[in-house]
Amino acid sequence: MDIRFEEAEARFDGRIVLHPLTLSLSERRIGIIGLNGSGKTTFARMINGLVIPSSGHVVVNSFDTSKDGEKVRAETGFIFQNPQNQIILPILKEDIALGLKNRKLSRQETDVAVARVLQRFGISHLAGRRAHELSGGELQLAALASVLVTEPDILIMDEPTNQLDLKNRELVKRTIEGLDENIMVISHDLELIEDFDRVLLFHEGRLAADGRPADTIRRYRELTR
Amino acid sequence: MKTLYVEGDSLLHRLAPRTKLLGLAAAGIALFLFRSIPPLALAAVISVAIYASLGIGLRQSLARLRPIFLTIAVVALFTLLVGSVEEAATVLLRLTSLMLLAAAVTATTGIGEFIDEITLAAWPLERLGLVKAADIGLSIGLVIRFVPEILDRYHAIQDAHRARGLKPRVLTLAVPLIILTLKNADEIAAAIDARGIRAQR
Repeated sequence: MDIRFEEAEARFDGRIVLHPLTLSLSERRIGIIGLNGSGKTTFARMINGLVIPSSGHVVVNSFDTSKDGEKVRAETGFIFQNPQNQIILPILKEDIALGLKNRKLSRQETDVAVARVLQRFGISHLAGRRAHELSGGELQLAALASVLVTEPDILIMDEPTNQLDLKNRELVKRTIEGLDENIMVISHDLELIEDFDRVLLFHEGRLAADGRPADTIRRYRELTR
Repeated sequence: MKTLYVEGDSLLHRLAPRTKLLGLAAAGIALFLFRSIPPLALAAVISVAIYASLGIGLRQSLARLRPIFLTIAVVALFTLLVGSVEEAATVLLRLTSLMLLAAAVTATTGIGEFIDEITLAAWPLERLGLVKAADIGLSIGLVIRFVPEILDRYHAIQDAHRARGLKPRVLTLAVPLIILTLKNADEIAAAIDARGIRAQR
């Protein structure tokens, strides 16, 4: 994984949401923390090209997000805050297969890939289920399967344990711990990212701290006092 | 996120989506070619048998078909008032058969399969440079997928009115419904972009 922000800034309607930022990211597990409205989701969305910098550049695995959007999105999977909106088709196996349409696979190859990713997350029994019938934890696993079936290099998750009960939170936490992919997790759940390789703290649209989890989390607590 | 699709292993489930859609189109044309009651009554019996073969169950079937059937009943009643009993019976049998056949196809065909068929059907338009076939398929698939969800949201807003002791009014129902639907559409569009689904060619 090689992500570079080069004086990248994000503005919405003239308002600066993320001040010019320069940094490189290559660690396998990166956490992103900060108060609501601090710019962390915008930062994450800039990585997969959902938000294009108003000035500067974001380069992901040598692809510029403002020029090579499709290639960048093939490199980065994104799990949204509300996985319900992530699942586009109502039946889980159909939705996972939808992500493979542009691979020009045969029906049999698609079925095999879908079965494999469902098995990976232990949700093969949910293949024919409707998304609205799934629990919060199952829905997160379904969203993970729908994104990871395309085998992106980097996976970005926006508050994956948000609104989950304790049982489902533990299920999602264990699943994240077991992922082999490069992952970036935005979270208010500090326990989730406390053993990550690197944690970034955003505050009022600026990078306020960047380093080992314990140091960054301590700085975050100081900011919120 | 609801769907009209029903999981099953009936003959209709196993049929190729294209065969079902072409069959439905042919049946629709045939139903409008028959003008006497005996063949239409036979068609209605066959349609009931096909729908019953899906094993959906009476209660769920009634819940699914009631709104359309009521509309058909109103049309038949109006025909009776301005025409004859035979004409009303013709309308009732013809539209009921068509409703049951269309409902059977919808219940046994996933949205993904619909998208594939529509994309294929739109391919000649893409060859002419008029549209992108995959976008047409995805758009129509999303419409089919969104209708039950918008209805759910409408009922949720109605419930919110009742919970607060407010009388539901057209404006106070429509405004939040439109805002929520547009907001949700934005999020779905972002998910489609993030998953690279529109890149399919």
